[in-house]
Amino acid sequence: MAGSALRRLMAEYKQLTLNPPEGIIAGPVNEENFFEWEALITGPEGTCFEGGVFPAKLVFPPDYPLSPPKMQFTCEMFHPNIYSDGRVCISILHAPGDDPMGYESSAERWSPVQSVEKILLSVVSMLAEPNDESGANVDAAKMWRENRDEFNKIAQRIVRRTLGIPN
Amino acid sequence: MPVILLNRLPLPNLKTYVCLSVLALSSCVYFATTVIKNPDWNKGKSGISNENETFNETDKFSGDTRPLRQYISEIFLVMVHEAVCVWVMINMACCCLILLGRCIQKLVFDELRISEQQHLEEKFWNFIFYKFIFVFGVINVQYMDEVLLWCSWFSLLGFLHLLSQLSKDRFEYNFQLSFSLTTPVWNHVKLLTLLICIFALSGFMLLISTFVGFFEGLNTFAFMSAEVILLSLRTVHVILRYVMHLYDVFRDGSGSVSNVSSSVWEKRGPVVYYVELVFEMSAYIIDFVHHLHMLVWSNIFLSMASLVICMQLRYLFHELQRRYKKHRNYLWVLKHMEQNYPIASPDELSQNCDNCAICWEKMESARKLPCNHLFHTMCLQSWLEQDKSCPTCRLTLNIETPMGGRVELLPELQNDPPQPTRRHLNHFFHFDGSRYVSWLPSFSVEVSHAQLVRPDQLVATNSQLDAMARQVQQMFPHIPLSTIVDDLRVTRSVELTVENILEGHVVPPPIFRELDVRPTVVPMSTNSRNSPTGDSFNVDEESSENWDELTSDNVDMEEFSGLGSRFSKSSSEREYMLHKRKEQMLRVARKKYMEKQKTKLDSSQR
Ligand SMILES: [Zn+2]
Ligand SMILES: [Zn+2]
Repeated sequence: MAGSALRRLMAEYKQLTLNPPEGIIAGPVNEENFFEWEALITGPEGTCFEGGVFPAKLVFPPDYPLSPPKMQFTCEMFHPNIYSDGRVCISILHAPGDDPMGYESSAERWSPVQSVEKILLSVVSMLAEPNDESGANVDAAKMWRENRDEFNKIAQRIVRRTLGIPN
Repeated sequence: MPVILLNRLPLPNLKTYVCLSVLALSSCVYFATTVIKNPDWNKGKSGISNENETFNETDKFSGDTRPLRQYISEIFLVMVHEAVCVWVMINMACCCLILLGRCIQKLVFDELRISEQQHLEEKFWNFIFYKFIFVFGVINVQYMDEVLLWCSWFSLLGFLHLLSQLSKDRFEYNFQLSFSLTTPVWNHVKLLTLLICIFALSGFMLLISTFVGFFEGLNTFAFMSAEVILLSLRTVHVILRYVMHLYDVFRDGSGSVSNVSSSVWEKRGPVVYYVELVFEMSAYIIDFVHHLHMLVWSNIFLSMASLVICMQLRYLFHELQRRYKKHRNYLWVLKHMEQNYPIASPDELSQNCDNCAICWEKMESARKLPCNHLFHTMCLQSWLEQDKSCPTCRLTLNIETPMGGRVELLPELQNDPPQPTRRHLNHFFHFDGSRYVSWLPSFSVEVSHAQLVRPDQLVATNSQLDAMARQVQQMFPHIPLSTIVDDLRVTRSVELTVENILEGHVVPPPIFRELDVRPTVVPMSTNSRNSPTGDSFNVDEESSENWDELTSDNVDMEEFSGLGSRFSKSSSEREYMLHKRKEQMLRVARKKYMEKQKTKLDSSQR
């Protein structure tokens, strides 16, 4: 029922506004559509994405929190676990039934106990430590493994671009 | 794809259409008046009553002072006998219907939202497509007047269908909105009145179909009434949902004792479920029988029409099956839950001070899983319908599904919910002929809106889209790739997207817009100080003044640093504050980055 989804989303929005986790902002851009949020994620310090502010779109299903939302970065991204169109591939965002990679145990997948905050925090840790086994972006995974310097360079370019600073 | 073709046709807008119709009608009327100026106009024709002639005789002497009523009826008579005039009058009737629709829209709905408009258009063309097949493929009408009768019947029916669809969309929208904004009571009243009117009219149409069926036979009656019953069923469903929702809102609003209300809610859950079930199932069954009837009655098994009907039947059958399976799953989970997971005692409830982990609301009553985790009955029920584990600790629960095996996920519960629903909306028929006879061709019929692209088609063309998007981005580096791709999905052509960008239809999302070279103006700037987004980011020139400016807007920063700790009650204020917080975050990040680069530069110079 859409009613409970809305109530839950409202509660999460309130919590995220009152106690925002460090470096994370999320909320519906236009409250006429409460099922589409925009999030800003700060790149974790001490990593190649340090300093960047990455915008992403979160789309919630009508039966949220029974099904997970979908997350997609709206800026250019180069990361082993992010598809080239920006979609994020982490286990917490996968519904209990589906297993595209075929290795996750159900314990890592979506459950209604998860929340937007937990998703965004795991995305932050994903940015810090890519999982190069799940190849959402094969090129990035390969570069991450074999040519870290080049990868860091690309990441820094993306960081500058998200900040609007020319190269 | 008929719809896409029609979308590209240069359809005139409403104003010109109305003007043309009125013009055509008045020229017809003018034609009729010139005809009847000659008092002997109907002398030559047979079958016109004598009464008219006697009147004409007397009028001869008194000039042209025939009584107005007779004058009009004569004009009408002339027009009915002229084929062109008949068409003009039909057109005028259509025009009036459209105008009526517009009036109702203005009165009840105000402006339509884009999704509503798309939905409506889709529904409209679908309706026309199916009714065309029905009239010419199934009942195969031979005479013009029969076609006319069916057309007028269906246009009235379609009109009501569209209105009820619109009310449903609007109700769902209001429903969603009522959690963040308040919809005026007056809007609810208007919408409910409209719904009740639709219901009353459908009852009236049922009467007409009974009347017609009395003369024309049972088959005609069945064809006509099935549609009407479907319409009234849908309308009543919306009305019921609406009333329940309003009850909810006012119950919440009145702030009654939450203890009572939540127990009411718990009891009401199954009732709501069964109401939904009955309405959905009966709508599917009626639709199914209706289509089956068409297929059997038309007696033409190897035509395009029967093919389309078969596809529709298959779709309806799948839906019915899906719904039935879902219901069995529901019953099974319910039974299992009642047998194995006891209701938590008040002691346990008071010990557990957390909210329900599924809906984040307080628990007045709950069920306990073997792992001692507590949840609302309804929340647990809906989760267990799709997964058999504890949401909190992931303990696997031993639930055998009625279908025999372990967790068997229903197709619609699996990931990617938009895909199946969209396909249903599109009415995508795929006929794989080679499955039956090797030389039969395979083809697809798709009735859809031009802008809706099926996700699996997207995957196939993604690389192509990417290449196109990069091409566009070279020309417009300030627009993010994802925005360009979005537009390309619609236009499917580089030139059109470039045109859209040049005309300003494609705008970068807010985050990128504020990085734009031009200073942007904040729409709701409440502070009198110069707006923070305004002139501080001239990104194109990385001069030293810019550095200073970037590092010197501490004042604004402090002003908004307090925003994190407030959650406003007004939605527009919330939107504004979210926007501000995002801006501030970006600004701080930018400043930090610049400082870091500066120190790096300094240290390397030293
Ligand atoms: Zn609950
Ligand atoms: Zn548990």
